[in-house]
Amino acid sequence: MNRREFLKGTLATTAGVACFAHAASTEGSASRDGSGSGWIIDTNVELFGWPHRELKYGATQALVEKLQTHSVRQAWAGSYEALFHKNIDGVNRRLAEECQRNGRGMLAPLGTVNPVWPDWEEDLRRCDEDYGMHGIKLYPSYQNYTLDHPNFEKLLRQATDRGMLVQVAVAMEDERVHHPRTVLSAVDTQPLRDTLNRVPDARVMLVNPFRHVRGNELRALVRETNVLFEISNLDGTGGLERILSGSHWYLPVTMPLERLVFGSHAPLFPLENALFKFMESELSKVQCEAIWKENAGRFLATASMKSDNRRQNRSQP
Amino acid sequence: MSEFDPTRVGLPSHQDLINLRIWDLHFHGFDVMEAVLPYIRRMGIERLFCLDIGGWGDDPETRRQETLQRKKLERWRDLVFGIIRIDPTRPKASLEKMERWIADGPAVGIKYQGGYREDISCAHPNNDPIIERANELNAVIYIHTWLKVGGDPRHVGGGNNRGESTPMDVAKLAERFPDTPLICGHAGGDWELGVRAVRPRTNVFLEFAGSDPFSGSVDFAVKELGAERVVWGGHIESRSYSNELSKVFDADLMFKQRKQILGGNLRAIAHPILKTKGYRIEL
Repeated sequence: MNRREFLKGTLATTAGVACFAHAASTEGSASRDGSGSGWIIDTNVELFGWPHRELKYGATQALVEKLQTHSVRQAWAGSYEALFHKNIDGVNRRLAEECQRNGRGMLAPLGTVNPVWPDWEEDLRRCDEDYGMHGIKLYPSYQNYTLDHPNFEKLLRQATDRGMLVQVAVAMEDERVHHPRTVLSAVDTQPLRDTLNRVPDARVMLVNPFRHVRGNELRALVRETNVLFEISNLDGTGGLERILSGSHWYLPVTMPLERLVFGSHAPLFPLENALFKFMESELSKVQCEAIWKENAGRFLATASMKSDNRRQNRSQP
Repeated sequence: MSEFDPTRVGLPSHQDLINLRIWDLHFHGFDVMEAVLPYIRRMGIERLFCLDIGGWGDDPETRRQETLQRKKLERWRDLVFGIIRIDPTRPKASLEKMERWIADGPAVGIKYQGGYREDISCAHPNNDPIIERANELNAVIYIHTWLKVGGDPRHVGGGNNRGESTPMDVAKLAERFPDTPLICGHAGGDWELGVRAVRPRTNVFLEFAGSDPFSGSVDFAVKELGAERVVWGGHIESRSYSNELSKVFDADLMFKQRKQILGGNLRAIAHPILKTKGYRIEL
């Protein structure tokens, strides 16, 4: 899937959805057997092997089938190989090939870049120009740098110039159950606010944020930046409706609707975890559709539009 | 009720959940009952076990809270069962509390929490009189367990709190009381190790609640233990029914097995004491 096709697929999900009682029968729908077309954009899946366990839906074809069964139309896929591999370009190339080969047209690869390793700018260029990726997914705690590293800002600038979105995985797994030889801290997002002040056009999404980004830091990110928050680890009973209304049990913020995006963290987490949140919370159709697809679609379109404008400006005499 | 139709995204309907007769073993929302009630209803939960009953100490405030909790348990008798916390560093006080709350009161079980004054887990001999009395009362026995990585040298369980039991501690206790049903909470914290730690002790049930949802975890527990040894809780309100139900709906199970895990096994464990207390429960 190239970037043009990908954007087209994203925008197609803005068609009406059929999971509301009053939806017209002609609208797109998915079924339990995986046939039909879905409408959800899952912004947080990974391919290949989780380093510590064989996963139930670890094979790409099994994951795609599972996503389709649950009405996911498009999934933004990172690679578990990004966590520990050193040959980053190999990781990205395999990811792009796997999405092409087994993605059934619904997987969009998000390559990774490690800005503290040699020749990272070339990795970014290849993600953009050779593999046609619309964004990158960063795993700073695994790739061993913090967000106050000067190269992180450089990376953000260059990705933004290229019209690429940037996902930052705040964590991947509860640190209490890490393998004892794996010593990892969650990403400290505090430096991100200053960096985004200096790179205001950057399109940044935090994935798996809510276990660690809490209290004043969460409030500040909502108030001072335009980052999006992916929901797979938004927990707490009725978490979605309560964070939107400013009454969450332990996340002291009123989250604007346009800042939340659907993500499952599959295949490590069950896809059902993210989906049940829409049953547990009392949400309007407008709220569901914003989180399922519209916010992610707008996020991508904004990044791409900026990129097109820049390219156009550069090509003018 | 929301207009959202969950079946269109491959989830069970509200009625499907009701048909499963879900009993939630892990409820922390008693102090905010009115606030959590809509979610309990929306997700079709039939019964709850509150694990925060009884408090500790003899100061007037604690006594006042105990009185309020008794009234509250009476008010919510058709929905909430009470489980009291015991403390193995204070076996005599724990036994007195069991008399007051279970033998002569409304509670139906005991919980080991950990975080005690001394590093005494559920495996310590202090627990023997507590378990013996719980057995006589047919009380539900819930043991909070975790396997937090930490310590120096760093190892699995090395990050546990003082007196916080591990699934290995539960297995040791189970060996001494082979005929007593024991519930190992939080799937041991680290489910891959927790399942294996309790596997040989067939009187130990494993509870999925209060941890991140990992795809394949319930499949693994059912493979090693059988569906008849797995129970479930919602861990409301810090966790969610989304988080906890997803573990069970991720698993490849027959309706009968799902029903066992989401309530059937717990009903069987609790049935003797519920019958004693005058509840008419259909198994």
